[in-house]
Amino acid sequence: MNKGKPARSGKRLIDYYWERLRKNRLSIAGLGFVVFLSLVGIFGPIFAPDPQNTDFMIKNLPPLGFSIEESVYEISTGESTTTVVWGRPDHPLGTDSKGRDMLAMLISGARISLLVGLLATGIALFLGTFIGVLSAFSGGWVDNVLMRFTDIMMTFPFFLLLVMIVFIFGPSLAIIVLVIGLTGWTGAARLIRSETLSIRTRDFVTASRALGASDARIMFHHLIPNVSSLIIVMATLSIPGVIMAEAALSFIGLGDPMSTSWGTILNTGQHSLDTAWWVAVEPGIMLFLTVLSFNFFGDGLRDAFDPRASI
Amino acid sequence: MIGGAMLEVNNLKKYYRITGGLISRSIGEIRAVDGVSLTVNKGEVLGLVGESGCGKSTLGKTILRLEEPTSGEIRFNGVDVVGLNRHSLRELRGKMQIVFQDPDSSLDPRMTVGSSIAEALIVHGISDPAEMEDRVARLLEKVGLEADFGERYPHEFSGGQKQRIGIARALAMDPQLIIADEPVSALDVSVQAQILNLMMDIRDRDGLAYIFVSHDLSVVRYLSDRVAVMYLGRIVETADKAEFFRNPLHPYTEALLSAIAGLRPEGGERILLTGDVPSPLNPPAGCRFHTRCRRVMPVCSQIEPELHQITRGHPVSCHLYA
Amino acid sequence: MIPEPVYEITYGNSVGVKSETVLEVKDLKTWFFTRRGTVKAVNGVDFVLRKGECLCLVGESGCGKTVTALSILRLFDNPPGRIVGGQVIYKNADLTTCPITYLREIRGGDIAMVFQNAQSSLNPVFTIGDQIAEQVMVHEHVNRTKAMDRARTLMEEMNIPQPGRALKMYPHQMSGGMKQRAMIAMSLSCSPEILIADEPTTSVDVTIRAQIIHILQELKIRREMSIIFITHDLSLVKEIGDRAAVVYGGRVVEVADVEDILKSPAHPYTVGLIDCLPDVSSQAKRLPSIPGVTPNPLEMPPGCPFHPRCSKVMDICRSTMPASVKITDVHKVACHLFGDKDGGGAR
Repeated sequence: MNKGKPARSGKRLIDYYWERLRKNRLSIAGLGFVVFLSLVGIFGPIFAPDPQNTDFMIKNLPPLGFSIEESVYEISTGESTTTVVWGRPDHPLGTDSKGRDMLAMLISGARISLLVGLLATGIALFLGTFIGVLSAFSGGWVDNVLMRFTDIMMTFPFFLLLVMIVFIFGPSLAIIVLVIGLTGWTGAARLIRSETLSIRTRDFVTASRALGASDARIMFHHLIPNVSSLIIVMATLSIPGVIMAEAALSFIGLGDPMSTSWGTILNTGQHSLDTAWWVAVEPGIMLFLTVLSFNFFGDGLRDAFDPRASI
Repeated sequence: MIGGAMLEVNNLKKYYRITGGLISRSIGEIRAVDGVSLTVNKGEVLGLVGESGCGKSTLGKTILRLEEPTSGEIRFNGVDVVGLNRHSLRELRGKMQIVFQDPDSSLDPRMTVGSSIAEALIVHGISDPAEMEDRVARLLEKVGLEADFGERYPHEFSGGQKQRIGIARALAMDPQLIIADEPVSALDVSVQAQILNLMMDIRDRDGLAYIFVSHDLSVVRYLSDRVAVMYLGRIVETADKAEFFRNPLHPYTEALLSAIAGLRPEGGERILLTGDVPSPLNPPAGCRFHTRCRRVMPVCSQIEPELHQITRGHPVSCHLYA
Repeated sequence: MIPEPVYEITYGNSVGVKSETVLEVKDLKTWFFTRRGTVKAVNGVDFVLRKGECLCLVGESGCGKTVTALSILRLFDNPPGRIVGGQVIYKNADLTTCPITYLREIRGGDIAMVFQNAQSSLNPVFTIGDQIAEQVMVHEHVNRTKAMDRARTLMEEMNIPQPGRALKMYPHQMSGGMKQRAMIAMSLSCSPEILIADEPTTSVDVTIRAQIIHILQELKIRREMSIIFITHDLSLVKEIGDRAAVVYGGRVVEVADVEDILKSPAHPYTVGLIDCLPDVSSQAKRLPSIPGVTPNPLEMPPGCPFHPRCSKVMDICRSTMPASVKITDVHKVACHLFGDKDGGGAR
């Protein structure tokens, strides 16, 4: 009897995927930034000063190393004097028009963005997985009904809903999270359903049935673990979308004006682009980097999980 | 070695309804299996040959009730399989097993190989981890692999090794019948031989019976005790191996054998069939093979031939022998 | 007891083969430079192809036969693949180094290729007629009507029923066998001198396979076309081949007339391959098999690539690559059992 050794040396499953991911430099860079952002968001607000601390004496300070011309109009003399104001080390990223420290606000904004991103994505993916897997597994009229329901939800005017709720209840981040989560699951449901359908026809599922496995066992032991990589990739690629959506909504005033989310900061900053450009630019850069990193990381994950790409 | 009848299939039919239109009306039927009767004796290898679309894979799955039969009877050791409830069916599952063609999709890529093999044990109520580990190790050794391979994942193995793992999984509950659905078609020739030897060894040692589904007649000739030919959902000829290859009766069988150089009878020429295999949605009237048959007669397009036994133990369904 | 079949002497066995050489492949090496290492897919392949002959490249998966075929027309992905050595001589030009414009003329026009999976080789959004006509128009600069006429003639040659109707069909409307024949028709549209067929019958049924083999044999004789037929199935080699080259680990380990190679194989791999076929040893209780697995092209063993599995392995096999030696005028083998022990040998 031939005893063969396995053709390749043994590795655990996670190690295997990690090896593949590691080769993609961009995605590792993205992962690095995401980790950095998470640490900042979790631990930053503990160490940073209170972002809501206003101090009009130091309003509109530029970031460290930059300067800006400020005109002050003296009522008594009727003259305006222009002075050059430089950034100070105790406010390394400058201050806004109310004297609030930019760095503190950005850190607090990081926490908000991550929370919103994770929570809304979590809700959306949970719903999407539940409906997608249930639909694919049941087939028949259940599948039909669920998919038609999904179609209807897809056309739902989520923006209109948001405006109405904000109008009734007033703006808040919780509302944004709920609305995005409860309306954003439709794409996920479709994709997860189609992936589940294709997994269901694979031989190993038939083999399980032939061994006598119950439907529940097949669903939880075979279908869901094999869809999990798709879910993870979708999560990493949808978090930036959610963050941008929240930022956009805050920007146009539908978010909580009291919060220090990056979108809100952008909103206040747009009016003072000539006198305090950093108030708009800094959150803008953060958003840009965050979205880019999640996208690189998510793309890398997708390639690592893809069974077809081997070399 | 070969005992009495273990599996009896009687007039088994499996039809798939095609639905279409806005309200999913039924617009046709695929008669994948259209009245198949066969017997498999204890410890016997029945070779089931046919080309794509003939229904041989569907037949295998229907016998195991992985597809629900539309009508017909299946008896395993005397027990009516079609009427079994879910609970009894699960108990039966261990005794009739299946091995698949494609080694890459027959194992769950997210589970260790040992877990895949042990799944049968778990489903049938064995939960003691030590006992499971022991049995998995013994099964791996039985198929020629090392016991500690159980911790590795499918992607770490070659096609032949994955196929061995699939066989180990099928053997977990000591089956009496294995339906092997083209188990070596996707393997290299040198590996093919290893797997065939393995299957033969297991058969000799444990007295297993196989239904060996294949399109490769030379492999079927090597392994089988009896051979049956399927065409568009029906069995057209059955015979003992020697008789089958020496004296093929049905024109389709003749064409199949002549297509392979090593199997042409002495002085034989290659028979070329015209046209393609008809679609199972719309099988020809009368004898299904008449559209491609070189010995077609007028009656063939009108009446479907019955199975006749010209020589004992060699039934064939063809008007030439009616 | 099934007697040995009588060979049909109207096909195969060097009928219609001229002695003139149309293609010569010399020490071809195609390597793929990947992050995981260098895959030496083709690592010193030599063969000649004569006019009107069918040369079978025989081997199992991963042996390099497909990459060899792709290398002739430089069809592999570059990067990561690159021809790092050797020559492919056709019409006094080396195809490995000629300009791409010249190569494009050759592709389809002089040397055509047919692939294993017709489904993925045919464009699903164009009709068969359009696809064949396009090829004709590109290579021979004729108008569409003439091209369509040629397409129709080709379909008839392929024994496709109702050729006019078939021309208007889309690939998904055709059966597997028809698609395969349509693909062959497409490859013949510009009357190539050489046809490279990469496992054209692997994915079709046995009876369709017989039709396709028959068509190829007719083409070989009627059009004096040379065929490079890639397969892992030795029974096909018996039917259609004039000569066979056995490929293992990226090299040709044995080449000879089909009859010779099947009756008196020299290389241990060829011997093992023939032995483990069920139809030859159908009377034996156990099939002899070759132990081990085909080598991982990333981790090729040193010396002869077959030595880990060879029952006749010697010390020299583990360190030195055997050179190709002549056993007879037309039978060459690359094995230390036949060469001078110091590794040399006549070419």
